[in-house]
Amino acid sequence: MGQVILGVGDYGASNNPTDEVKTFALGSCVSVILLDPKTKTVGMAHVALPDSSINKAKATEKPGYFADTAIPALLAEMTKYGCHKKGKGMVVKLCGGANVMDTNDTFQIGKRNALAIKKILWAHGMGAVAEDLGENFSRTVTISVGAGQVTLSSPGRPNWQL
Amino acid sequence: MKTISHDELKKIVKSSPMLSVSASRLLQLTSNPDHDLMDVVNLVKTDANLTARVLKLVNSAAFGLINEITSIDRAISYLGERFIVSIALGDCVGKVFEKKLAGYEAASGDLWKHDLRTAIAAREVVVQGGMEISPDLAFTAGLLHDIGKALISDYLKDSAPEAIELITSHDSADYLDAEEKLIGFDHTQAGFELAKAWQLPEKLAEAIRYHHSPAEASEAFRPLVYAVHLGDNIAMMGGFGTGSDSMRYRLDANYTDYISLTPNTLASIMLTVDSEFDKLEQSVASTGEDKR
Repeated sequence: MGQVILGVGDYGASNNPTDEVKTFALGSCVSVILLDPKTKTVGMAHVALPDSSINKAKATEKPGYFADTAIPALLAEMTKYGCHKKGKGMVVKLCGGANVMDTNDTFQIGKRNALAIKKILWAHGMGAVAEDLGENFSRTVTISVGAGQVTLSSPGRPNWQL
Repeated sequence: MKTISHDELKKIVKSSPMLSVSASRLLQLTSNPDHDLMDVVNLVKTDANLTARVLKLVNSAAFGLINEITSIDRAISYLGERFIVSIALGDCVGKVFEKKLAGYEAASGDLWKHDLRTAIAAREVVVQGGMEISPDLAFTAGLLHDIGKALISDYLKDSAPEAIELITSHDSADYLDAEEKLIGFDHTQAGFELAKAWQLPEKLAEAIRYHHSPAEASEAFRPLVYAVHLGDNIAMMGGFGTGSDSMRYRLDANYTDYISLTPNTLASIMLTVDSEFDKLEQSVASTGEDKR
């Protein structure tokens, strides 16, 4: 069994049914998960910030870091596995985007990340069928490529499925 | 769950590693706003082991210097005092930072990573948030803010589900309150006891004690404590908490009295934390193999 581990700002995909695609401890970051039933490919991006305009150099080096550059990059990556370039037929799931308690507007990065991602997905004619966003705890995501199953975990609580 | 008495806490503090003479003097010195880098150089020179470690670090692959730096003066001015403080603390009380926080279901190394990220973020909050306090002092305070977790973690073993339940049922306002309900102390109170045993400068001790309730800090130290408060939250938001308690604390939005942050500044701070962290973690770790 292989593991595709994605750090902050990474994106990647796999169609190997024995692989797991995994990202650790999403705080205010949001994981965008694209499941393509046709090619049995799983793609994920670990998005840290909503908008790449604050640092274009970083966006070029790590497009997965920002919502507006991550989704096109992930879709392009998945075409290598025979997926539709505009994501036709893909199942979208979102998780993460937590906030600290009593957060103010400035610190609601989790919420801004989720909103930015949804807007870009809409622009691509895509929408999430399942989401586990917000609240105030960190999430680790593990996707089994073969089963297309998305498992979430957080220290101190039982795992759950998305 | 068994609560810890005040006497027991004192015993736990007593059995913890103590600061070395040079680390202690370095913290005293760098907390004084009137010091300059030459004072740091003179202090480091009195400690042969620390001098060797600093030279090794500056010449390590992480910095990629073409010409070797052989003078301690140049090494320290190149690195800046925050690296020196990190090395000196890692040397004598590294065990505290590296402790596996079983009570928070965190892996060993998680506390140190969280502390480093809090330190970098607190420093950036000072720099980018237009504050007039020392950025390096905010770094040191960030590094030390959670030392109390290492003391109480073992006593919190297997308590994470209960702590979370206390918060979700609104019986506890946040994780701090849950800690106190479960074992009689929270990690800021425990950290404050250790800070007293280590004879830390008052402002650092207050940053440890009030990093979740900065409004309670003495007025003179409040800007520093707010910087650490934000640094801690930024570290957790970036995915580097210490396990079950991550994000389960309250933001004190009155930081705006001391710190001016727009969403873009905050995003820029988070970016800097990510890039600085990789550099600092590698370089401080790369000198660790001959740790005595």
